Amino acid sequence: MNQLKELQKSSADGTKTIQVRVNGQIVEREVHIRMLLVDFLREELGLTGTHVGCSVEGRCGACTILLNGENVKSCLTLAVQADGANILTVEGLGTPDNLHPIQEGFWEKHGLQCGFCTPGMMMSAYNLLKVNPHPSSDEIREAIVGNLCRCTGYEHIIEAVQYAAERLSSMSKEEREKLLTY
Amino acid sequence: MTTASETKWVGRSIRRREDPRLLVGQGTYIADLTLPGTTYVELVRSTHAHARIRKIDITKAEKHPGVVAILTGQEIAAAMKPIIIPAIRPNLGGELQVPTVYPLAIDKVNYVGHPIVAIVAENKYIAEDAAQLVEIEYDPLPVLLDPEEALKPDSPKIYEEWESNIIWKGTLGNGDVEKAFSEADYILSERFYGHRTGAAPMETRGMVAAYDNFTGLTLHINSQRPHILRMALSKIMNLPHDKVRVIAPKDVGGAFGTKAAIYREEFIVSYLAMKLKRPVKWIENRMESLMSIGQERDQIHYLEIAVRKDGKILGIKDRMIADSGDGSNGVYMGFVMPWLSAAYLTNAYDIPNVHIDLTCVVTNKPCLSPSRAFGEFPARFAMDYALHLVARELKLDPREVFKINIIKEFPYVSATGITHDSGDYVGAFNKLLEALDYDKVKQEQKEARKNGRLIGVGFAMGAEMSGLGSQVFVPMENQPGYGSATVKIDTYGMIQVLEGDSPQGQGHETTIAQAVADELGVNIEDIYISYGDTFNTPFASGTLGNRGASYTVSAAVLACRKLKRKMTKIAAHLLGIESDSEDFIFSNREVVWKKDTTKKVKIEDIADVAILAPTKLPQGMEAGLEATAYFEADIASMLSIGVHGAVVEVDPSTGGFKILRYVVVDDCGVPINPMLVRGQVHGGAVMGIGNALYEKYSFDESGQPLATTLMEYHMPSAADVPHIEMVEFNVPTPYTPLGTKGKGEGIPAPVPATLASAITDAIDRPGFKLLNLPLTPESIWKALNEI
Ligand code: FES
Ligand code: FES
Repeated sequence: MNQLKELQKSSADGTKTIQVRVNGQIVEREVHIRMLLVDFLREELGLTGTHVGCSVEGRCGACTILLNGENVKSCLTLAVQADGANILTVEGLGTPDNLHPIQEGFWEKHGLQCGFCTPGMMMSAYNLLKVNPHPSSDEIREAIVGNLCRCTGYEHIIEAVQYAAERLSSMSKEEREKLLTY
Repeated sequence: MTTASETKWVGRSIRRREDPRLLVGQGTYIADLTLPGTTYVELVRSTHAHARIRKIDITKAEKHPGVVAILTGQEIAAAMKPIIIPAIRPNLGGELQVPTVYPLAIDKVNYVGHPIVAIVAENKYIAEDAAQLVEIEYDPLPVLLDPEEALKPDSPKIYEEWESNIIWKGTLGNGDVEKAFSEADYILSERFYGHRTGAAPMETRGMVAAYDNFTGLTLHINSQRPHILRMALSKIMNLPHDKVRVIAPKDVGGAFGTKAAIYREEFIVSYLAMKLKRPVKWIENRMESLMSIGQERDQIHYLEIAVRKDGKILGIKDRMIADSGDGSNGVYMGFVMPWLSAAYLTNAYDIPNVHIDLTCVVTNKPCLSPSRAFGEFPARFAMDYALHLVARELKLDPREVFKINIIKEFPYVSATGITHDSGDYVGAFNKLLEALDYDKVKQEQKEARKNGRLIGVGFAMGAEMSGLGSQVFVPMENQPGYGSATVKIDTYGMIQVLEGDSPQGQGHETTIAQAVADELGVNIEDIYISYGDTFNTPFASGTLGNRGASYTVSAAVLACRKLKRKMTKIAAHLLGIESDSEDFIFSNREVVWKKDTTKKVKIEDIADVAILAPTKLPQGMEAGLEATAYFEADIASMLSIGVHGAVVEVDPSTGGFKILRYVVVDDCGVPINPMLVRGQVHGGAVMGIGNALYEKYSFDESGQPLATTLMEYHMPSAADVPHIEMVEFNVPTPYTPLGTKGKGEGIPAPVPATLASAITDAIDRPGFKLLNLPLTPESIWKALNEI
């Protein structure tokens, strides 16, 4: 993969050129310094899978993405702060023909109803499964406290994450790592 | 013909067909839609709960670069009728006063959040900035927040032309209540209060309007009721009906009733698109959402129950006062919910003598708008918790008090006119006691008490509406209650189902396909479901009140049955046989003659003839393969039952408590997809727990809303709620073709009485009562320390 470099071109009209790797692809854009990362992803890059549920409160978690390995609420982050970062959004998880085990789990166990919280929920599950291959239901509940779901009552989400955990742990170390790094 | 018993899809927990697109981030929600040239709206809202507008100064905002237009109340009011028109005004008899409501405030504001000015700009950042530059001067007026206060004759009037602050007033009931009370051994008389709480779906409201001179207005909006909204837009905006198209996006991020009302923004955004001839987009932010929609419940019940010493209820009286807010939301106007609350007050119980006085009052709060457990939530709390209090007072086992009162014979018509179609309520109740292991818990409670631990068990019931037939719906909302669906078979034998409701995550694409696949003997992959677009779906009143599985699915099934009659005639003709429709089965994408199963015709061949080669049709038969059906149940209304039970442990030193077990016994008639029903039950119970314990739309004394972020409006996270156990107890209804009933709407309603009674049982001290929601540690601690 090409190396990302932090570009320091910012101009007097309040814009700055940034470069980020999103779902494996390097993109470069000139953005207004006020632009939120979530708007950058959704509007500049057309990655509308990341949702806005609470508008800059950081409470609902619908906008959760992975930024350099951390779960980040993209409504609380400016696009310029992501300059040089490595980002994973729901679009980078799996494809319809080749779902990521987490996506499979949510499908199999009915972990979603309206699906609005789901991308953010799955991004939180991703980081949990990276560090904890066999989470208990309480550990799952803890890991998704930052992601609100109004539809499911969480029961099926917990089962979905457990399903994904089982699928992942039945895989070889390499396969598993491939699915949990970006 | 096939019967429901030969099903292959109905009853199976198959994975949802809508999920793959949602899982890979390719759902299409309203915020994802932007049209070329889109402009963005930001609304300037009132910062006062009640005030006269002295001056609006938009000069600074106008000069802000990137601002496209600024709209104020005068202009938009001149362009359209007031929002509350007869077509979207409830029709419940009683005494009604109708407020004059325009989309933007003109000279007066009635609640914090009331929209005053709309700014349109090239992007939403600019619109937000410009909104800050609008200057509004107010003359504050006295603020009314307490409905009982607002009822006093000398209190100021929110609508000055009104004689009182009562928006609607009426009585419900039947029987000889006075006689019942004179014969009673005991009368329980309490004031119950259900606070303002409700649904806050994860996706807020939003819309994109576009206009051109030829097609007219197209409004994309995450509405539950696109057809009703289209009617309203056309009437209010003086547009011919054919020049208004409402499209609900394929994916909607939850609604729970909040997206069923008609609000002001629909007209603001539509008007601006017409004026500017550019697409206009507005996405409600979370603060606006919490300030203005989905606030429900908010009722006071002065409930009196007359009982015999064995616990049998002889009659009830209730004086209900509901805080309707400003009463401005079309279709519901803040009083349909409390009306339904009164109508369903008797819940699952046989109470012959009932008298309810309902008064709905306007205050300086946002209008009540529907929210899952439509109206019923506080009424269920009052009624079911009162039954527990009766049992305590009479020293009876609450089980017995419930059992003696539960409706046992069906159909049953309540004193308020609600028809219970069928079911086995006692069976469901017994199932709950069994699932809770009631006797064992009571034993454990005694043991625990010896060790100083306070454990308690409680329960409540919920007779949940399963759609509402036209008999109820027409008087209530001026809208039909039937289910409607069109089934079309295309030239390749693929089956398209069009429905006029528009779902928000309930799984229509899966459940309707399961029912249709069985009817037509095909795979669900052969079926595609279309909804949301008023230009090509049959008229329907929308996705609400559990109509999907009861009415809409039934309409789809009936449309298939109509179609099957034509298909069998074509099959017989092609096979060169004389036979009745009954002599064919539909299986494997083929229409098969029962008398000789080698004689069969593929669906696609029938479609080919009917659509592309009509010359091969039987003489005189018209071409095409499609049918529309409108399903109306043969009974005024259908209900399904849910029984909830909980075991809790209370810490009397803080009033805090922990839910040790939460069990729901649920009946949905025939479950189309049991996994989806479970999902509804889990979600509904957790919403009920959130509503009962943490969520509250509170206001300070000046009417400022105090819960305008999700930090203050605390919705339960995964770590806040217990594991929900669910037990199926399904009794098919004889009134729908497949025996299905709706499920989802009423599930939160039994939660508060379940928890309140469990806590009361745990405390177990004479005089301890929880009469006010929410059930916070503070309120429990107070109740404990007041006795
Ligand atoms: S939108 Fe970012 S946390 Fe809610
Ligand atoms: S699935 Fe609707 S909010 Fe989670």
